[in-house]
Amino acid sequence: MSTDAGAGRARFRPFHLYFYVLMGAFALAAVGAFAWIVNSSLKTDVEFIGSPPFSTTTSWQFGNYAQAWEAGGVGAFFGNSVLVAVSATVLGVFFSVLAAYPLARIRFRGSSLVLSGFLMGLMVPWMVTFIPLYLTLRDLGLLDSRLGLVLVYATYNLPFNIFVMVGFMRTLPVELEEAAAVDGAGPSATFFRVIMPLLGPGVAAITIISFLNNWNEFFYALVLIHSEDRMTLPVGIWQLSQAATYGSNWVTLFAAMLIAVAPVLLVFAFLQKRITEGLTAGALKG
Amino acid sequence: MFRRAQRRIVVPFLLPASLLLAVFFLYPLARTVQLSFSEFTRTGRQRFVGLSQYAELIGDDQFLASLGHAVVLALAGGCMLFPPAVAIAWAFHQRLHGERVFRFLIFAPVVLSVAVVALMWKFILHPTLGLVNPAFAAIGLGDLVPVLLGDPRTALLAVAFTAVWHGIGIWIVLTTSGFARLPADVLEAGRLDGAGEWTLFARVMLPMMRDLFRTLTILWIVQSLQAFAFVFIMTGGGPFGSTEIPATLMFRVAFENAEFGYAAAMGVVIVVLLLAAALGLNKLLKRDDLEY
Repeated sequence: MSTDAGAGRARFRPFHLYFYVLMGAFALAAVGAFAWIVNSSLKTDVEFIGSPPFSTTTSWQFGNYAQAWEAGGVGAFFGNSVLVAVSATVLGVFFSVLAAYPLARIRFRGSSLVLSGFLMGLMVPWMVTFIPLYLTLRDLGLLDSRLGLVLVYATYNLPFNIFVMVGFMRTLPVELEEAAAVDGAGPSATFFRVIMPLLGPGVAAITIISFLNNWNEFFYALVLIHSEDRMTLPVGIWQLSQAATYGSNWVTLFAAMLIAVAPVLLVFAFLQKRITEGLTAGALKG
Repeated sequence: MFRRAQRRIVVPFLLPASLLLAVFFLYPLARTVQLSFSEFTRTGRQRFVGLSQYAELIGDDQFLASLGHAVVLALAGGCMLFPPAVAIAWAFHQRLHGERVFRFLIFAPVVLSVAVVALMWKFILHPTLGLVNPAFAAIGLGDLVPVLLGDPRTALLAVAFTAVWHGIGIWIVLTTSGFARLPADVLEAGRLDGAGEWTLFARVMLPMMRDLFRTLTILWIVQSLQAFAFVFIMTGGGPFGSTEIPATLMFRVAFENAEFGYAAAMGVVIVVLLLAAALGLNKLLKRDDLEY
């Protein structure tokens, strides 16, 4: 897709101006929205309500961030989000790499049935299963626990991950296993020593996508977690917004939103190309 | 033969993932269908009622209205989404200077949590504390703009707009990859024949990406049905039920009225309608494949 910056850029032609105007409008909308949040997060509540929304802050309340982190509970939400998103991602990626290997490279009876079982998860909308899922987790004693949420997230990462990894592993040459077998390596040693080291780009793509999904997930977190001290960021911030509306404590909420957004924007800034490629791979073939 | 030895690892490798899938996806999915045949009482007892809840759904004005809203959301959102997405993807196709900065800014909302984006726009659209209404008021046009989330005529459109703002980056990237796969020799031939950029775009590029747009349309419909968080956070289904979609209605019926069975029946109907819509669209939009 995109090549290195500067290389192969087109010479400027007048009709390019239309494109710049169009892209500029979109970029401006994004920058404007973020700037407004940053600005509001640095006001006092009185300033936020009393001054026009476009006026820049005069008080520079950096304390709002500390306020959100401690009193608002954002620190705890952040910790929960890290714990849940990281564990679910690791689990979901490892299990799907394991499962994808036989599905992609070993001929056995029922393999296409198993594969379509996994891929069904890509086609059925998630929202229909939430009631029995809620009941199942209640029966297993996993309701309102972070472990339950981790297992659910890992499961919902599987279809996409397996889909991508099966496609990826099929592109590797067959001779890899043959050569390893000639050298006397057993099948699992072959997998861990020969195949795994070659999976880097595919694993990177599914790890990033899974992590973003798990970090941002709202619906299941809302359905399955009820105690405030176990909430992840999206639900925690929503909870905070409910409280803000009654207590007129707006600026803390804006600070909280920025805290939630900052890490993903940072990740995105560094891994932009990987992320867009990963998303494209999944969405198009799926 | 090493093939036989390989088969020994099939079961252990598949087991963890299969177990998770069975417990947290396949079993709940099967149980959704089973639940849809049972009625729950307030005390949590269930009894078998056959298809009667499906019959009830057909006459349920709230459910029918929510389906209508889902259609409006998909259509209106689609109209807000595709023209700009295609235009921007076309822009990216031109390999302009400074493209990377624009890419970053336009794509950034995609990686944000739906919850944060919904909250953000709820505030931006706030009539006095937000950005939009005060901006119009400042240039003297305040009377022309209603309270966007508080007016039943505009609330659903405002929610659709927010969902589009959040997701448009993905659609741009997907469309860009469509542009990238266009055969360069065909475009070059067109240019040599003296076709302008606009003619090339409208007569050559767009028709060639027909299949891609078919896929994208279906993807968008599936996505827009799941716009739960946007509606839930921005309007809660109001004002006057004007933004209630099947997802939020299901959630309310299940957790506020504790009618798990009835909500499950809705879920089954939604899946069936969705699959039917996807199949129908696929057929409808499929023409004899063009040969390049």
